[in-house]
This record gives sequence, C-alpha cells and structure tokens, in this order.
Amino acid sequence: MSIVANADTRVVIMGGPAGTNAARRMGEFCHLIKKPLNVVAFVFPPDAGKTFEIPYGAQLVSLPVYRTVAEATAAHPEINATVIYVGADRATKAAQDALADPKIKLVSMITEGVPEKDAKLLAKDAKKRGKVFNGPSSIGILSAGESRLGVIGGEFNNLVLSKLYRPGSFGVITKSGGLSNEIMWICSQFADGVTTAIGIGGDAYPGTDFVSYLEMFEKDPQTKAVVIVGEMGGNLEEQAAAWLGAKKRRIRLIATISGFCQEHLPKGMKFGHAGAKEGLRGEGSARSKTDALRAAGAIVPDTFGALGPAIEKLYRELVETGVIAPVAETDAAALPRLPKSIDQAMKSGDVMVEPLIKTTISDDRGDEPCYDGYPASELIKKGYQIPHVIGLLWNKKLLSAQEAEIVKRIIMLSADHGPCVSGALVTIIAAGAGINMAQSVAAGMMMIGPRFGGAVTDAGKWFKYAVDQKLTPEAFLDYMKANVGPVPGIGHRVKSVKNPDKRVAELVSHVKSLSIPMPHLDFALQVEKITTAKKDTLILNVDGTIAAILVDLGYPVESLNGFFILARTIGFIGHWIDQKRQGSRLIRLFDYLVNYATPKRRDVPPLT
Amino acid sequence: MAKVLEGPGMDLFKKWGMAVPNHVVLTSVDQFDPLAQANAWMRNGKLVVKAHEAIGSRMKLGLVKVDLDLAGAKKAVTEMLGKNVGSGLTVSQVIVSEMVPHSAEYYLAVKSVREGADLMLASVGGIEIESQWDKVQHVAIEVGDPALAAEIEAAAKKAGFAKDLVPKVVEFALKLHQCYDQEDAQYLEINPLVLSASGELVALDAVTLLDADARYRHPDWNFTFASEFGRPYTSDERAIMEIDSRVKGSVKFIEIPGGDTALLPAGGGASVFYSDAVVARGGKIANYAEYSGDPPDWAVEALTDKVCSLPGIKRIIVGGAIANFTDVKKTFTGIIAGFRRAKADGKLKDVEIWVRRGGPKEAEGLAAMRALEDEGFNIHVYDRYTPLTDIVDFAIQGKGNP
Repeated sequence: MSIVANADTRVVIMGGPAGTNAARRMGEFCHLIKKPLNVVAFVFPPDAGKTFEIPYGAQLVSLPVYRTVAEATAAHPEINATVIYVGADRATKAAQDALADPKIKLVSMITEGVPEKDAKLLAKDAKKRGKVFNGPSSIGILSAGESRLGVIGGEFNNLVLSKLYRPGSFGVITKSGGLSNEIMWICSQFADGVTTAIGIGGDAYPGTDFVSYLEMFEKDPQTKAVVIVGEMGGNLEEQAAAWLGAKKRRIRLIATISGFCQEHLPKGMKFGHAGAKEGLRGEGSARSKTDALRAAGAIVPDTFGALGPAIEKLYRELVETGVIAPVAETDAAALPRLPKSIDQAMKSGDVMVEPLIKTTISDDRGDEPCYDGYPASELIKKGYQIPHVIGLLWNKKLLSAQEAEIVKRIIMLSADHGPCVSGALVTIIAAGAGINMAQSVAAGMMMIGPRFGGAVTDAGKWFKYAVDQKLTPEAFLDYMKANVGPVPGIGHRVKSVKNPDKRVAELVSHVKSLSIPMPHLDFALQVEKITTAKKDTLILNVDGTIAAILVDLGYPVESLNGFFILARTIGFIGHWIDQKRQGSRLIRLFDYLVNYATPKRRDVPPLT
Repeated sequence: MAKVLEGPGMDLFKKWGMAVPNHVVLTSVDQFDPLAQANAWMRNGKLVVKAHEAIGSRMKLGLVKVDLDLAGAKKAVTEMLGKNVGSGLTVSQVIVSEMVPHSAEYYLAVKSVREGADLMLASVGGIEIESQWDKVQHVAIEVGDPALAAEIEAAAKKAGFAKDLVPKVVEFALKLHQCYDQEDAQYLEINPLVLSASGELVALDAVTLLDADARYRHPDWNFTFASEFGRPYTSDERAIMEIDSRVKGSVKFIEIPGGDTALLPAGGGASVFYSDAVVARGGKIANYAEYSGDPPDWAVEALTDKVCSLPGIKRIIVGGAIANFTDVKKTFTGIIAGFRRAKADGKLKDVEIWVRRGGPKEAEGLAAMRALEDEGFNIHVYDRYTPLTDIVDFAIQGKGNP
C-alpha cells in the first residue's frame, strides 16, 4: 500500500531532455519491481509527433510525444498523473493545462525557480478541483514496490540498497531532494524501509504541505509511522504539530528540523532553501518548530545524527507491540539487475567486442585529439605547424623543420590557379546556382582526376618506378614510350627552357640548398635534360617537380594527390566566398560558346 | 526573497501611484551640482542624505544625516561616499531625498502568506510600532483575488485612523497591494507612512523584498538585488552568485568571519544540517556553502577555491546526503581540482578535510577523494554507511576518528 502514487499510476511527462532522463530512471525502477513502464507519453511541443526512446530492462521502448496534455490523455486514457520538467518560465502554463485536464489527478512539478505567486495560484486551482499539486522544486514521489515519479531514489544500485523494491512501514515527507534519499536509506538500515516518500520541494509555499500528506498516510494501513524533514521558516511544521496534537492519530510522527545554526549567526543571515527563511519577526525558528512538534507528541531527535537510532527504537517498539509484522527479506541477488551497457560490460571485462574499424593515426577519446600519439596542444606549444600535422596524419612521420618548410611551399604553390581551371570553374558555377559551400567545393573536387590535378600521382608513380628499378633516364624514357605514353610531369603548354616556370625554379633551388638527399628529383632533372634537348617545352613541370620531391620526402605514391586536393581546397573555398560576397547570379552558357552540331529542326513522326 | 535598496524600491512604489519623497542616487560627488541644478526640490527644501547600501544600523554608523540645506547635503555626500565602515566595506552609493515635514506617522505593509497576502495597517508608525504590535490590523487577501476596499476600510477604522483619513488610507493600501501583486513582491513595508503638510499620504521609508524567481517577467527591474545580511556581498560571494546565475544546478557561498570550520556540502537541505551539527558540537562555521542539481565540475571547483581561501579555518566539511542525480564523481573532480590548486598556492596547511557522500558514481568519487591522502592531504573519507553528520562529530570531537 502507498499514497499518491501506486501501481496504477500512469504518467505523461511534460518536458524534453530532463523529462527523458527522468523517464529512464522511472524505467529502471519499473524493471526492478517487474511492473510495466509507468511512463506512457511525453508532452514536448518541439518534438511533437516524434517518439522518445526509453530503456526498460534490455529493451528500448518508444513513447509518443504530444504537443498538449489534452492530446496525450485523449490518445492514452489510462494517464492519470503528470510530472513537469519544463523551464520555470513555461512550467506554470504546463501545470495549469495539466490541472485542467479531467483525467489527470496528480501534478508533480520538478521545475525549480517558479515564482511564488504562480505556485500559490496552482495550489489554489488544484484544491478547487480536488487534485494534488506537488512541488515546485520537488525531487519526485516514490512508492516502494509500486511506482516512481521523477528521479527520486537516485541510481539503480541505491534503489536496491535502500530496499525500495518492496514496501516497508515508514512514510517520508521532505522538502529537500537529497535528504529524501537519505531518509529512505536510513529507514532501510534502521527499520524495514518506506511505503511512500514524497519530496514536497524547498520553496516557501509548496503546493501540498505536510498536513495534507499526513492525512493521506493516516488512511494508509501499511504506513505505521512518518518521518518528516523540516526546516526553519514558514509554518508547515507547526501545522503538522497541530494536526498531530488535535486528536489521537494512528500513525507515529518522527521529525528532524534544520536551522538551529541560525541562533549562532549574525542577525539577518539566512540560507538554505528558498523557503528556509525565518519570519521577519523571529517566527518559524528551528527551535519553535521542534518545541511545537515535541509538545504534540512527535519524536524529534536533537540532531540529524540521532535520527537513525530514533527510527530504530520506534521500529522495535512497533514490532514488539505487534503493529509491524517483520517481513522476510528478499534475496537481493534474486532481484532483476540493470542490464549493463556495452561500455560498462567491456570495462568490467564481461564482453569482448570485435572492432568494426581500426585506426592507426588519431584518437580524441581523451581531453584533446592526439595525432599519431602526440597531443595537439603539445605540438602547438612546441612550435610545430600545419605541415607537421599533415606529416603525422598522412604518413605517421614527424617532419624536420626543413621538410615541413618544403611541404608548406608546395601547398602555397598549389593553392589556386585562377577561375578558369575546371575545378575552380565548376565551384564558381555551383556558387552562382546558390549551392552552399560544402557542396560547391565538393563539385570542384569532383573535377580532380587524370586530366586535372591528377598528374602528380602519376608522375610520382613513374619516377619512383624508375628509381626503384635503377633505370637510367634513357632507359626510363624508352620504357615509357613503349609501354605508357607521354611521361607524366614532363612538358608544359606555354612554359619552356627559354620561358621557365618560376615556381619550379624557386622550389628546386630551395630544395637543392638543403642537405636532404633527393634521388627522385635528381632523376627527374636528368630526364628533363634529355627531353628538353628534343623539344623546348618538354620541361619538368610543377606537378612533376612536386611529385619527385614528395616521393623523396617518403610520402607513399597514393598520398600525393592529397597535396593537390588539400591545397586547391583553399582556392575553391576562396572562389565560393568570392562569388557569395559579390552576390553573383546564376551562370548560363552563352549560345555563341556552343557549337550546335545538331540536326536541323524537323517534324516529329507519328508514334508507331 | 531578494532585497531591493531604497532608491529603486521607491521608484517601484511611485510606478504604482504611491507618493514617495523626491530622491536621487549618487555614486560620485561630481554628480551633486548637476543634479541640484536639475531638481528644484533639492534647492528649495531641506534634505536627507543616507548611505545607499545594504548596511544595518546606518543611523548608529553616522550614515544618515537629516535636516540639511543644499550645502550641508553636499558636505554630507562628500563625507559619506568612500567612507570605510569596517570589515573592508566602503560606501559606494548615497541617496539624497527631500525632507517631508509631517505631523503623524502610520504603518502599512503587505506580506506574502500561504493563501495569498496579509495586508497590515496601524495608526501608529515609526519606532513606536515595535512596542505596539498588537495595534496592527490584518486583512487577508487570497491569491488571485482583488483586494476589497470595504474590508480595508473596516480594518482602517478599527485601527483608529481618523474618519477623514480613512479613504486616503484605503486608496494607498489598494495601491500597495496592487504593487505587491503585479511586481511579484514578497514583502512591502512602509514605516512610516506620513501625512504631509499638504494633507497627502507619503511613503517615507520602505522595505522592498521581491521574488527573484520572477525576474524573467519584469524587464523593467533595472536594479541588482542587495544582500539581506546587513552588509553588502563580498567580492567572493558575488563571484559565486555570478556563476550560480549561469549554470545548471546551483552553487551558493556566504562568508561568516571568525569561523574555524569551513563547509563545502551538497544540497540545500543537508547543508543546513551540517551547519547545525558544527554549531551543536561547539564549532564555529566560517561560511555557508552548497552545491546541488548536478552543477558542472568547474563551478564546484570555483566554489572550492573560495572555501579554501577562508582565513583561519582548521577543517573543511565536504558533506552530502545520497544524491538522486548529482554525479558524485564529476562534482568531486571539481572539488579535488580546487583542493590541489589551493595546496599548490600554499593554502590548506594544517587543514583537515572530512568527506561523506553517496549517490551516482559514489564508489569512483570517494576513491578519488581517498587517493588525495597519497598526495599529502589530511583527508578522511566516509561513505553512505556513516550517518550524514557523523563526520562533524569525528572532526570536532575526535570521537570515533579512526
């Protein structure tokens, strides 16, 4: 038995992320007590029409999300309670809607920071309608073995330790969320556990007070005693004392009140919950509340520490007098367990999972990414640059400063070749069509292949082949002529020996000034000597130069195109931004740029 | 509850049609002459100068000067601004208001109660009301209902207001209740309410407490809330309040000079029981603190920083009940980082740390705390099997301390 929430309570949760988290906790409790999930639906307008997935045991239950309470209760007539998790500025409206719904009998508000006036109006509305409005700032309501509304009770392990899977004999009412959990734990350690525990919230005017719940506990035969945790401020504890003293009550009352420290503090210094404020003229002190409760017959230990023994003493007395019949303990080992997630199971060594992919270059599972094992921030701190990151991620090699300088120059040389080359042109056309950056740049990228930008890979491949095979330049050229065709990386449409490519000259002279051995570049230059002797324009072009140098730096042939893609991305992005900035229009080819080699206009024959 | 200083409080009263003395708030004496130029009332009547700060017993500290002419007021402003009033607190604002010559003083207040509001009125005011509390008449106004003029009229008559004054009192009381209701107030007190020479009721001095939670729906609240401690907030308190206002969950911090026991507990409920336990065992608390609602670890770390910086502390109580959803491991990570930094900065010498906690990831969190012992911290760590406040007994009385 229990009060407020029981095995028939069916909940619509109002709220998104915080609400789903609560639903998960409620699912854990339902799984523990082997009862169906007590959450039926959500109200969360931004996700109306979708479903939220809530774990229940090892399954995932899909719960529908509605725009309004009315829609939820219409679709699920079994709903009779709601738990509110929406923000303070919307919580009042949510509670008003819920109270106005004839199917909902209990509204528990978890939201904190709700204006006091709103809480009073909601309490008044609920009273008028004969419903229960619990909170604001409530941690929730839990009836042992029956129902859990909210996150009250904490994590799964605590539910088991505090024996919340089966009813005991003690009711609990607290303002504080943390202390509700503590009292349930104490009741399970010093007595036989709890029936229902209610967090009424720490605000000045909780929607439902101690007395209302004491009345309900008085009528619940399973509950033999109630523990309340009060605090200075307000007069809810005095009212509880008055209720207890008014006539003979079946239930016993144990209370603990906080706020005695106020007597020793500078005047006016107040703290704790919003409601923990001594009256402006001294009423509602911890002492006056304690006195009132004791006078009415409640057990009020001197300190919180004495609460456990006081509960134990009362429990023994109630057992001896036959009020409580001790129950045989459930074997905790026989209780359902919370299925472990793969993460947890792997951590505890219970399962082994065959990985789906394998990586050898980077890992960001820690507090920052590590490239080939080196933390990014350390690389930055020690003066490493982008070429070093490229070296680590593409070739798992930490470059020297000289090598990095070469890579940097290669990227700078290749960053852009104007708007007319096929990749840039396509990017510009896409930008004009209003396509966004990622897709426009990708369109330009799709042009990279054998005829545009692809020569670097091919040049690298054949120079490497020649050096590996120890071919002479002459033998290499013979081989290429017989088997492949023109040598990739050799030849230029406009540049020649007389009109050399400045970029190539710069790069070669820089590389040659260093102490790094460059067998592929040397070989390529020897080849050039032979080819230019035959024809002025058969120079080692920029693609061939870059290819030879990168192979010399140890980059695998298949990575070479990456330098072109990377470098040219800078240019493509620039072209896209440039077009956007100008607000350029849709580009359409002029008819005079097309050779219409089509048949003359003619009649369409009838379909046969 | 959030206290509003006199200047903005008076402005709220004025907004709802209640007469208040003319007033200006100054932060620098340079503002005095231009204001005197712009406001005829400053030049033509007598003035009152008060420190515009949340400081108790301003009269005793010489922070209230009355019956001044313009030159006298300027002198008072000059003397008061920047004045050190002890404990490192200086006056940063003054309020200059007009003296209202009056014959009689009355009392009018409205207070939030569970059912709605308690409207209080008395035909005695000023300091006399303190000894004649039984003369106050009460009118209960249910939340959501309008205040009824007839009921207030009956109470005013019963309170002994002169017959011709009753309609004016009723009108003023209705405005006060409207202000209370519309401004999300929790307590408004006018003492004294006076009858000016021109026969008009004027709110001469006012206490204004508003509901800080309602701030979001009052865009015209252009003031910050003042402390209710009889002293302004310290810079460390303000720093934590600033963090509190922008994080999930909450962190709270109040300094109490002269204490030997610092508190760093979790939860609005448990934190007060820890404070009680320290006092009950003869300790002196050096602060109040609390974190709850699963705040981010950096916010808890900032709070730990402030707690470790409290002067003269012998011990820190890192207490807490069994959390529902606050991640013990994560919040303890913040506390541990704060402890390490404090130690590196030379703090925490001869300071004992006492820990008790339960809740999500309790085993990991407590193990991390225990490991601090290897780093040379004087730390004692207990789990859920040690009752909540027993660590205070161990810490102060040495009882049961293994």
